[in-house]
Formats: sequence, C-alpha cells, structure tokens
Amino acid sequence: MTFWIVSFARSGPARYLSHLDTSRVVQRTFARAGVPIALSQGMRPKPRLSLPLPLPVGAAGAGELAVVEVPEGVAMTTDALKALRAASPPGFEPLGIAEVREGHPRPQPLAAEYACLLDGDAGAIVAAVERYNETENAIRERVSPKGTRRLDLKDYAGDVVATSVEGGARLGFTIRYRSDGAARPQELIDLIAEWAEVEPAMRGLERLSIVWDHGLPSPPAGQRKELTT
Amino acid sequence: MKSSGPGFPGLSGDWPPDEIARLLARVTRPGRYAGGEFNTRVKPGARPRIVLSYPDVYEIGVSNPALQILYSQLNDATPASAERAYCPWPDMAGLMRAGDVPLWTLETFSPVGECDLWGFTLPHELCYANVLEMLDLAGVPLHAAERDGEDPIVLGGGPAVANPWPLAPYFDAFFVGEVEGHLEAIVAAMQLDGREKRLQALAAVPGVWAPGRSAGPAQRQIFTGFSDSDPVLRPVVPVLEAVHDRVVIEVMRGCTAGCRFCQAGMWYRPVRERPVDRVVAAADRLLDETGCDEVSLLSLSSCDYGGVAEALTRIRQLRPGLRVSLPSLRIDSAAESLAGFAADQRGSLTLAPEAGTQRLRDAINKGVDEDQFDEAVRATFQGGFTGLKLYFMIGLPGETDDDVRGIARMAGSAARLAREIGRGRARLSVSVSSYVPKAHTPFELEPFAGAETLRRRQQLVRDAAPRGVRVNFHDVAASVVEATLARGGPGTDRLVEEAWRLGAHFDGWSEHFDMRRWEDAAAATGITLGEPTVSAPAWRDAVDARLDEDFFADELARSRDGELTEDCRDGACAACGVCAGEIGMELLA
Repeated sequence: MTFWIVSFARSGPARYLSHLDTSRVVQRTFARAGVPIALSQGMRPKPRLSLPLPLPVGAAGAGELAVVEVPEGVAMTTDALKALRAASPPGFEPLGIAEVREGHPRPQPLAAEYACLLDGDAGAIVAAVERYNETENAIRERVSPKGTRRLDLKDYAGDVVATSVEGGARLGFTIRYRSDGAARPQELIDLIAEWAEVEPAMRGLERLSIVWDHGLPSPPAGQRKELTT
Repeated sequence: MKSSGPGFPGLSGDWPPDEIARLLARVTRPGRYAGGEFNTRVKPGARPRIVLSYPDVYEIGVSNPALQILYSQLNDATPASAERAYCPWPDMAGLMRAGDVPLWTLETFSPVGECDLWGFTLPHELCYANVLEMLDLAGVPLHAAERDGEDPIVLGGGPAVANPWPLAPYFDAFFVGEVEGHLEAIVAAMQLDGREKRLQALAAVPGVWAPGRSAGPAQRQIFTGFSDSDPVLRPVVPVLEAVHDRVVIEVMRGCTAGCRFCQAGMWYRPVRERPVDRVVAAADRLLDETGCDEVSLLSLSSCDYGGVAEALTRIRQLRPGLRVSLPSLRIDSAAESLAGFAADQRGSLTLAPEAGTQRLRDAINKGVDEDQFDEAVRATFQGGFTGLKLYFMIGLPGETDDDVRGIARMAGSAARLAREIGRGRARLSVSVSSYVPKAHTPFELEPFAGAETLRRRQQLVRDAAPRGVRVNFHDVAASVVEATLARGGPGTDRLVEEAWRLGAHFDGWSEHFDMRRWEDAAAATGITLGEPTVSAPAWRDAVDARLDEDFFADELARSRDGELTEDCRDGACAACGVCAGEIGMELLA
C-alpha cells in the first residue's frame, strides 16, 4: 500500500465547507486530476482517504493534511501535483505531497494555532480574555446525543492573545490535542463572548499552523519522499 | 474569463466582504452562499450582467439542469456574464434584513439588484412565495410597474410558465418554452441603452410574453437543435452535497407516452433524442470534468430513449465500477431495462403505476396491466434490487373509492412477491400524492378533488395497506395551494403576495409550509382555495403551447370512455398539433 499525505490550504469560499464536504472535494479533485484513489472492499466501495484534523466550518487553514491511499504503481510526480492543483475548486489549494509506505505512522495532531475576529466592544473582549488567562479552571459542558461531558478549557487551550481592531478584537490562541480529545475553537470563543457579553459569532477563523506527530515535517529517514510547489 | 482554480485570496480574513462574512458566521450551512464551485465562470466587466436564479435553497437549485444549460451557454457563447443566486434559507434571510445586506451572487458577491437581467427558472407553484422573497431581499421592487431606471429586468421561464398569471405582475416578461435558440437575441436586447428599449426588444423575441405589453399569447418555443447539440460539458460542480450529486446527461427531450394528467408530457413535445455516440462521449468527458462516479441519463422517460440499452452498456464500460442510473422505469419494459444495470449497483428503484385499477389506468392513458406490474416487481427483486417504491396518485378525474382501494391491493401483491423473492431483504414502500389538474393537459378543466375527499381517500389507503409496507402521503394542504395557483387566472397574484407578506416561504418544505398563512391570504383576497379562479383556460391568453384544443377534447372524451391513445413514436399520430414545419420528432434510427 502507498499513501500520499497531501498538504493543502483552504481559504476563500472553501472555508465554508464542512468536514464531509472537504473530503468530497479531495475525492473529486483526485478524480478530475486523473489520480486514482484506492477503494475499500465490499458491495459499495468507498475511496480510502481521511482528513486527520477536521477544520471547522468557516475556518481557513494554511497547512491542512489529507491522507490518501493510492493504488500500487501510481507515481508521485510533479505532473500529478500540477494536475491536482488545476482540478481544484476555488480556495482549495494542494501544496505538496509526501509519499509513505504502509506501516508509516499516520499524522496525529499535537497542537494548532488559531486566530479569529470577534465583533463587539473591544475593551470588554480584552477584559474577558484577561479573565480567561488568569483563571485556573474554565469548565464548560458539551452536550451531544451521547450525553453531557464536562471539560476544562484550560486543559486544552493555552493563553489567549487579544488585540483591539475596528469593531472588535482579533484573538489568537493555541489548542492542544490530547489522547482524551480537544476543545473546539467555538467553545473557547463562546466562553469569552459570554464573559464579554458580546455575540459569540466569530469570523475569519484561521488555523495558522499545526504541529503534527508523524506528519509533516521531519519524516523518518528513508520511509518517504516529498514533492512541493 | 477567469476560470476556477486555486490561488484564491489568502487567509487575511478580508474575503468575502465583511458585511457578508458577518452573516456567514451566524447561519447554518454558510457554504450555500459562498460559491466556489469547480467550473464557476467569472467575467469581470462583461455586459450585460445576468443573474440566474432558482427559487429554492442552494442544494436544490444547483442541481437544476435548466440553470446549468443557461449558465453554460450565456457565459461561454455570448458576451454576457451570467452569475447565480438561490433563495436564502430563513435564518439567512432574517439576518440579511436585520443587517440591510441585499442578496448577492455566488460568483462575485455583487448585489443581484444591480444586474441588467434577472432570470428565474420557475419549477412549480409552491416556490412562488420564494420569488417574492428573493425580489424583496435583493431590494428590487416587487411589481414590474414600479421598476425603473437601473432596476433589473425580471424574466421568468421554466415549466410553471405554462400558466404565468399568478406571478404576472412581478415579472417584466416570461419566456415560454425552450430558450436555447434565443439567448443571443435576449442578450442583444439587454445591450441596448435604457430600460424601455430593452423591454421593447425583449418583448419582440419569439416566445416572450410581457404582461401588459404583448398583444397576444406567446408561442411556446421548441429547441430544434437538441439532437445535434451536446449536453452541458462544463457543469458547475457543487462543493456542498446537492440533491443530484452525479453526472447528468439529458438523452431525450419530450415524451409522447400521452399520460393525460402529465403536464410535462404535453409541454415538452415533440420527442427529440440525442445520438448514443454523443451521449457516451459526453459521459466520458463529464466524468473527467466533474470527478463524479455516477451517471444519470435524464429525460421524462429514459426507458423510452431509443438508445438506452446501448448507452447503458457503453457508459458502464467507460470506468470500472461506474454506476449508471435512470430517473424512473416504465413498468411495461422494466424487466428488459433492469438487465442493463450492473449487479453491484442494485439498490432501490421506483415504479409508477399511478392508479390502483385497470379502469383508471386506462382513463389516464397509463395503460399497464397487472400482469405487467407483477412481472416488473418480480424482475426487480429477482434482479437483486433490495428496495422498491411504488408511486400512485389519488384524486384523479373519475376516481372512485374502489380505485383507491386498488392501490392497497397492488401494494399487497407487490409485498407478497417481495416476501417470496426478496427473502426478508426486500423493502417495499408506497408513495401517494394528490393529483392537481394542470394547464395545457387534457384534464386542465377537470375539478380538483378537494381536501376533504383527498384526506378521506388517504385514510382508505392507510386502512387497507398491507402490514409492513410503509405508505407516505403528500400534504393535502400543500396540494390545495398548488391546485389554486396551477389554474389561477389574472388576480391570483394577490393571493401569492398576501401569503408572502404573512410569512409564506419555502412552501415545498413541510417544516416551513403553513396553511394558515394561505387561508388568511385567501380570506383577505376573496379567493377560494382549491378552486380555479377562472372558468375558461385563462392561461391561453398568455401562452400558446402549440397543443390543439380539439386534441384535448378528444383525449378527455377517450378518458371518459376508458380508451387508450397510442404513443405516437410507434403508433398513429394523435394530432396533438405540435409537429409542424421544421418541428417534429427526431428519433434514433
């Protein structure tokens, strides 16, 4: 088995795609580019691809990853990368490909750096951010069909940086991914917006960088080769 | 023209415009309003600027084949720039009004209201309130008479234009029929200076009916170049999951099966078929162009397409594992058609007996008998399909309670075959909709069954349905509204506007349809719901569908006598009046 770890950026209109939509865009882009994806077994074969760290709807990402299994013999070439770029919809931009063999560990996220804009009284938002940074615990409840889970945002999100901008504040923060999960950017924004008494509708969310375990960069020697634009 | 591709403005957060980004951050499925599909065309500075709309939510509208044709031809074959806008979901509409942000296009985020021509495809009556909603959200005066200067010219098209009266005051003009052969003339009209000159030139285009301006009805236009043309080869490929997420190839236009209730079967005559070579080549190209893994052969009755078996076989050979589907199967040829499907793509399919007894099927010219039905059901389950949906209508002219109980009897027969052949794996469901008489059909002046009768007959089906078979019914109240508008004459527009002002929108969606708004609107306007507002076919004052009134009278008489009329593609001409001069059937040899 051969896997391609495709790094890509998502911006512009593509930032409004859901996780499933993004998966379908990757699949369709490969098909349009004429690069086959290996299929699963069974009555209804599915393309074997995954996005190891879903990007929230509305978020842009500068260095996202897709792991795609390609059939034996499909060559990772500059032409293939060019074809993927030409076959991509606006705002979806393949940046590079790393080829790894079966057995190579799959990329696991360790942390990601985010930025966003929060509209409202900048002073109130900055004060709420200072309160968050100073507090020891920030407990939130996550309600899902499976039940309610309490999580301490401080376990997953480090200090938040707030800068006043016209009409609100620009926030920067890092989310840590642990074996028991992670906080969602929206959960952090909800808390700050609640404390600042502003609407929790962030915009311009960007995932600026991701730290990967077994991802890009620093490959184990000899197990993979890379192609970038 | 800029083509779609990577390299969109980066991560700075300044795209889309701030006022729109603020809205997108607050709504469900913001991708509906952001565009960004593969094969989107952007033509900066091009004139005229045309916006194409389908009055429903993005996922429905982006799948509409007519809009794909218009978008492709206007952008690729004329100097015009065509962009798109769909109807915002209520959460977005509320925020747009609160923020005073006018409706924008997906391609450039420019206000729709600043275009030269705004074209609507009108698929059915239950989207009429959405047309007013979109005009209002765009800041375009609702009534054509109130528009002037820089306001766009609003043009309606599509099958619902068969009776344009309920929307007449809101449109500057309607195009009646198939527009492919007249796009250049419409674009040329929009290149003139001034609204009045443009309207005059538009009204002179064959097929255009301009309320208050046209002297007589517009003759339905028929695209005579269909068989010699390619289907759309560079379709917009949605990035959100659309209702039709597959390659769609129109293999045939028109249907002459002659079902007497069917407006589309009358409206799109005559039958024109595309050569198999052209269809297969298009499938090959479109698979590359879209990245889809399924091809659907589209027409009103794809089993009647003369090249269906060859096309199915050859298209399946294009890619390993490729799925090929037909929108529906004819019962009398289902067994033969089913053989064209690959064993690994057999899921569920739909058969449409339409009526529960032979007498009523003959009256509507459906013609299939119960032996053919049983054979089709048997072939379905023997062929490995695990799901079967049976589609019926109630409220057909001349229907009796026994005809309705016949639906349950046929469902029972199918259920027995499912148990015998499907061995526990077969699922059977029945869908029962309410018949609404439509303009330009032999039943156009037949009475609508009415809510009370329809509800009682729904209960008859429910009571008699076999155990284990799921039966779905269409909302009778929505059918009552549809029936009012389908044959509404001049003045029915007041009902639409009043209902919209009372909050009607997305009436085709059960979660949004509210009959009280329409009842209140009816009370305010003095219109009786469910009744035609005119006794004579007022639609003929606006639309000449090329269908002979004697043909309708003859078909109605034959219906009452239970006589079948042959399909004219392989039987005698029924003298419907459509074929004349260069217009005629174009069938594969």
